[in-house]
Amino acid sequence: MSEPGVQASALFIDLGARVARTLARLREARGVTVGCSARRAVWSHGKTTLYEYLPLAGVPARPGTRPLLVCFALVNRPYILDLQPDTSLVRRLLGSGRSVYLVDWGNPDEGDRLEELNDYLEQGLGGCVRHILAKHRTAALDLLGVCQGGVLSLCYSALHPDQVASLITLTTPVDFQTPDDLLSKWVREVDTGLLARIGNVPGELLNALFLSLMPFRLMQQKYVRLLTGSADRRAVEDFVRMERWIFDSPPQAAAALTQFVRWFYQENRLMRGTLELGGRLVDLKAVRQPLLNLYASGDHIVPPAACEAMGRYVGSRDYTACAIDTGHIGMYVSRKAREEIPQRIISWLEARPVGRSRRRRRPA
Amino acid sequence: MTQSAFGIPPGESGEAFTAAAARFFDLLKAFAAQPQPTPGQPPDWTSFAATLAGQFEQWLRAAPAAGAAFAAATGFPAGAFPGAVPIGPAAASAAPGEGTWELLMKLGQLQAQLTQHWSEIASSAAQRFMERLRAAGPTDLTPDNALALYETWVECAEEAYAASVRTAEFSRLQAQLTNTAMALLLAQRRQAEALARAWGLPTREEADALQRQIRELRQQLEERAAGSPAAAAAPRPKRKGPAKPARAVGPRARRRGARRGRR
Repeated sequence: MSEPGVQASALFIDLGARVARTLARLREARGVTVGCSARRAVWSHGKTTLYEYLPLAGVPARPGTRPLLVCFALVNRPYILDLQPDTSLVRRLLGSGRSVYLVDWGNPDEGDRLEELNDYLEQGLGGCVRHILAKHRTAALDLLGVCQGGVLSLCYSALHPDQVASLITLTTPVDFQTPDDLLSKWVREVDTGLLARIGNVPGELLNALFLSLMPFRLMQQKYVRLLTGSADRRAVEDFVRMERWIFDSPPQAAAALTQFVRWFYQENRLMRGTLELGGRLVDLKAVRQPLLNLYASGDHIVPPAACEAMGRYVGSRDYTACAIDTGHIGMYVSRKAREEIPQRIISWLEARPVGRSRRRRRPA
Repeated sequence: MTQSAFGIPPGESGEAFTAAAARFFDLLKAFAAQPQPTPGQPPDWTSFAATLAGQFEQWLRAAPAAGAAFAAATGFPAGAFPGAVPIGPAAASAAPGEGTWELLMKLGQLQAQLTQHWSEIASSAAQRFMERLRAAGPTDLTPDNALALYETWVECAEEAYAASVRTAEFSRLQAQLTNTAMALLLAQRRQAEALARAWGLPTREEADALQRQIRELRQQLEERAAGSPAAAAAPRPKRKGPAKPARAVGPRARRRGARRGRR
């Protein structure tokens, strides 16, 4: 065994070299781009834009499939689902020959501070749905809701059951007060009266909230782990793309955020069956569409129990729940995201072609 | 480029990485500086634990939890609040700034409570780490060991953090910090609005009122455009003004009206 002092010196020299290499790679990766699939804006309302992804070259349209609309959360950017070719859920869905659309909520500004959840639901999501249905001349589409977008999708499916043939939810909470929900504990006593009056909440603030759920892992360890992995250009570029997404959060419209905090986190209305949007009761029992509920077993933002509750409250007879062995972000970009999740979604949808799901949606 | 609440500019991973690497090096330096244990005796980690806890607490203070981040993000570092000093005649007046000093004091007290939590978390994390080191026995400082050591440290830190921040007391503190910061922001806005009114400038309140009117009008337009049954069935508010856009009323118009009446 060598002298401890010599060992320590060698270690610091080695680590110093690794830091320098990684730093150089990080600087090189500054110009990385995010979003890889070709798309075009086909409809918009206010800040909301509906994108249609262009079919992949050489992939024929699959007959007997419905258009698929992806509804992401208001609190993050949707390009995480199409961050780069090898992890793009969008690309995998396009590869199955489906028409894929995405709702992008845009950047609310002070002119949108009075926008309510019902506006996002009926004018935003509803407008997108109606546009797609008209374009495809079909009565119903498949809806894929992600995180908070899954909550909106559940509400929409309950209120407009005829327009949604089948529903897929990713990391979507239904019970907002499970014991392991730290976010819920922290916002339980926030004064929503004040929250509504202060105006839009900056995205940086929500980021701070999410990062402070596990600060050492999310603000320290992930950077140091760069030293242990290979500092090759591709790995570092992947990392930088993720970083960009994490720190690129849109501001939140005051009224909608206040309603979300009060009605969902503080009063747990969705689960209790007391949620009203636009004067109509959102009854989860009215969600009778085939429903695939995918959630992460190691999720620190939306605990598995919050998602598992869905099965107890929806009216669907064709309900499948599946825990994926990863974390919240891992659902979008991990190896599981590359392989297991798209595969599960595609095979589940393929098992429910147009004719079949319509019959199931309206059981005798 | 906007700055995140934790001082990490979005997209600037390099700086965040360098900062994290520096803290990692600090940990290793403190570890390497430990005196070699006497043969046959367990190593004494007391000074290492103290160094770790100190570094850790410093970091926690710099990277505040959400409630404190809210206070910072809304522009309320202690002492930064502009307003009239509530002494003399101002003390008795119901000026817009009334109550802001109390709120500032409250914010200071809450931040002090938060600091106490950070100290407890830091010391508990160091304690947990020492216990793991003792259980693992003497360790050489090789690159692999160094990284394993760091992983253990993060695990201990997260455990200590979770044990504290999941308590009802901490959750209440977070909410109080957020609520106080919001109340301060609104108090500041009231002062700014009073100034704006004095200068004849439009205020946020007025902009909000206009926005509400535009919203209502837009809704009515959309309902009419859609010809929704709800819109048709909804009782129309009684008009206070003219039912139609005002028309020119003059002798000629009156004569036209009279002719129509005769027909």
